[in-house]
Amino acid sequence: MPEHRIDLLARFPWLKEVLRSRAWQPAGALFTLACFVLAISAGLLGTPAGARNFGIIFVWIVWWALLIIGLVPLFGRLWCAICPIPAPGEWFQRRGIIRRSPGRLRGLGLRWPGRLRNIWLQNLGFLLVALFSAIILTRPAATGWVLMGLLLVGTLFGMAFGQRVFCRYVCPVGGFIGLYALLAPVELRVRDREVCRAHASKDCLTGTARSYGCPWLVYPGTLRRNAYCGLCAECLRACPQDNIALNLRPFGADLLVAGERRLDEAYKAFIMLGCALLYSAVLLGPWGWLKNLANMQSLAGWAGYAAGFLAVALVAIPGVFWLATGLARRISGAAAPMRRLFVDYAYGLVPLGLAGWIAFSLSFVLVNGSYALAVVSDPFGWGWDLLGTAHASWRPWLTGFIPALQVLLLLAGLAISITVTYRIACQEQGAAFTGRAWWGTLPIAGFMTGVTVLFLRLYLG
Amino acid sequence: MMAMRLRILTLLPFALLAAAIWWVPLDGFAAAPATRQVTIRASQFAFDPPVLYVNRGDPVVVTLQSSDVVHGLYLDGYGINVRVEPGLPQHIEFVADKTGKFRYRCPVSCGSLHPFMVGELVVSPNDMFARALGLTALTVLATLAFLRHFPTAVPADA
Amino acid sequence: MPRREVLAIVVAVLILFGVPGAALGYRLGWFAAPSALRTIDVVAASPENGGFQPDVLRVPAGQRVRLRFSVPDVTHDIAIGPGLGIDLGQVDAGQVKETEVTFARPGRYTLYCNTWCSPNHWRMRATIDAYDPAQPDELVSPSGPDPVVAALVEQGIDVDALHPAAAVPAEKPSASRSEALAQKIQLPAELEDAAWRRDHAPAQAHEALMARLPALDSQSAWDILAFLWLRDVPSTRLDQAAGQYAKACAACHGESGDGEGPGLDALRAQGLARHHDGSEASTALDDPHTLLGGTSALYYAKIRKGGMGTGMPDFGPILTEDETWALVDDLWTFQFEP
Repeated sequence: MPEHRIDLLARFPWLKEVLRSRAWQPAGALFTLACFVLAISAGLLGTPAGARNFGIIFVWIVWWALLIIGLVPLFGRLWCAICPIPAPGEWFQRRGIIRRSPGRLRGLGLRWPGRLRNIWLQNLGFLLVALFSAIILTRPAATGWVLMGLLLVGTLFGMAFGQRVFCRYVCPVGGFIGLYALLAPVELRVRDREVCRAHASKDCLTGTARSYGCPWLVYPGTLRRNAYCGLCAECLRACPQDNIALNLRPFGADLLVAGERRLDEAYKAFIMLGCALLYSAVLLGPWGWLKNLANMQSLAGWAGYAAGFLAVALVAIPGVFWLATGLARRISGAAAPMRRLFVDYAYGLVPLGLAGWIAFSLSFVLVNGSYALAVVSDPFGWGWDLLGTAHASWRPWLTGFIPALQVLLLLAGLAISITVTYRIACQEQGAAFTGRAWWGTLPIAGFMTGVTVLFLRLYLG
Repeated sequence: MMAMRLRILTLLPFALLAAAIWWVPLDGFAAAPATRQVTIRASQFAFDPPVLYVNRGDPVVVTLQSSDVVHGLYLDGYGINVRVEPGLPQHIEFVADKTGKFRYRCPVSCGSLHPFMVGELVVSPNDMFARALGLTALTVLATLAFLRHFPTAVPADA
Repeated sequence: MPRREVLAIVVAVLILFGVPGAALGYRLGWFAAPSALRTIDVVAASPENGGFQPDVLRVPAGQRVRLRFSVPDVTHDIAIGPGLGIDLGQVDAGQVKETEVTFARPGRYTLYCNTWCSPNHWRMRATIDAYDPAQPDELVSPSGPDPVVAALVEQGIDVDALHPAAAVPAEKPSASRSEALAQKIQLPAELEDAAWRRDHAPAQAHEALMARLPALDSQSAWDILAFLWLRDVPSTRLDQAAGQYAKACAACHGESGDGEGPGLDALRAQGLARHHDGSEASTALDDPHTLLGGTSALYYAKIRKGGMGTGMPDFGPILTEDETWALVDDLWTFQFEP
């Protein structure tokens, strides 16, 4: 096991018993499924006024806040374990919800094409949602249709391609959860790889009488990063050697796993950074003309806006980063080719990107969170008052603290990003050349500082 | 443990400097207060003007109008929350005694993009922004200095 | 199959089919508790989004009825007139507001929006037919033609046209300034007659006054007319009318009567707000040229009829006759200082 790990299952045996139980994951998924179906129903049948609709408030404010501020930074892909979207499909495959039913998984067992075994589709999906976000985030019907579409596709994929193919290769949310999960301070890993090598029957993949194999198409024996581990703990239930551990570990550890860095993930980092900046400008900024373009007031206007959006996220930001990488390469005298360095250094952007997303989300969650109080009593906007809070009025929370919080987050993200970049540079140079690695960090640090200043200009200036 | 203590000690001056940058009062740069009369037009889904620039201490007199539906103005940090009907302008008066950027928002559900209907009141000197920039520079310098003096050997493949 | 598995499956089925089914059922009214009180659900939306749905309501007169309004788009001020005093106030998007009302007398009433909500706000109306329960099949007849309007038409007066004043006062006439003077001098008998005043324009009255009292200077004559036109109008009536003006008229005519407002911008954008001859509509109520040449009866008729090709709504279905006269009284305060 790598250093700086605390084996939580060894420390807290009760935790192992809880996680090994088959009940917690389906219980979580049933709860989230109930909320999800309620959101779809409210979106399609409830009031078109977004501020009084469960679909809008509990998906884009409550769930999003929980996800980006809590679940992902602290627990990585834990959401994916209880996500409702693939759940009906998974239950169909497993012929059961809690139990381990005997025999093979049910389904067509179609093979997902090799060319799509990456997150490019997810990058595309996220960008599509981003381009239409002014519509989706504000019209309950749009949210309803999108969520229903995801549920249907997730279920059909479960029936056709099996396992969690949808989650790994298609889900637009999964793309960024996977990338930011690299930062999380918990992980499921094997304790000793030698044990796995010696163990012939790979139960963690094939399953046992009490468990299924890993549905994430991952072999726990060689798993080194959180990106594609959905924390469902099937491997924990399966392993007869008690070789699976839930570790507490330093923040950002997976960013330094050098051998698995890829261009599709690097681009996800650019897309997320770009979207955080663009959302902050379009949605939270004061420029009505920009919002009108995003709101599809005219198709031609929106097309121009979409082109600009994509240009920033896919060309401008990676382009400037490419230049910074070139400079870093020149200064540090790194031997690796440009493309390798470009991809590797991009992982340094991940902490800053998450900081930007949390800073952005804090702003609209604190300002609009009070809508949730009323909506919980009247989810459809039909004049109900289930809990007596239906007349709670809108009141922004803690707006005085938001700028300070945003500064704190962005600077923490900046410091961590620079540190990670330096460590990546050290990896490029080899441990003995930390001086050159330091110099090579400077242009990238400059890029990150520029991005931070842009955020600060939008939020505070 | 020595190494840990040394690292913390190195960060200490930066932390103090950060505190200074954030909290030291910067009163010398304010301009003389002058009354500002401004008309803010609210429409779906923005305010016009989108950004208001005033100086600290300026008494601000706002005539709030709506050009299409019932809107309103809620000003962060100043406790102002009024509704406005088309054709019936509202008058709002306050003194811009706090510096920084404060957003004014529409408190009335006025259509689809209502949650994003935002304007900005910038009260100069915007020292919070200046301090944030200062802290950014400090963070970068501190981080780079720290990494320079405490280089870590990182295995090639963690 | 273990019990918890069965439970899980039951819960899953309840979620997947029960929740949407229940919501749909509620929407279709399956769960409406039977109550003695008749409830009518009305969606109150801007005309572009469907207006009032339904736009015709049939209710029995003399029986208590619950009207439940839900607003899907922007803020509306839901009111029922004429003369019922029913105003639910502003209802914001996503809110549901209900009221219980009894239509004492059979007849046709208007459900309308009382705050500017869209470029077509003035079209946002619905009809409430309160039928006599003893004779449910008898058609509810709308109220007959307005006698004042009919009289004007009979006299051959073009209600739609502008009646500009040739001569106007130099400064805004003040009633208080001339109060003492008006008590002292002997005014022509007809000027003292409210009915005469109703059928004559201030400009005509000014001519008559100047002819009878040549010693009077023009401005003092205007001041006396201000005093006369605003006499006998209690301030409470003016306050109430001013409130009605703010809700019904200000969006186009301006809060101060300056003739500019968001409603007018909307009408202009639609190519309305023009007179028959194509000239721009004169909407400024504080312009003496515009207002002083017309009679109170004329303005009464304009308010009730609307139209004129300018896009001005007809307020006849909404206001009672007395409310309309009160508005006309208030109109004069744009010209005459109390």
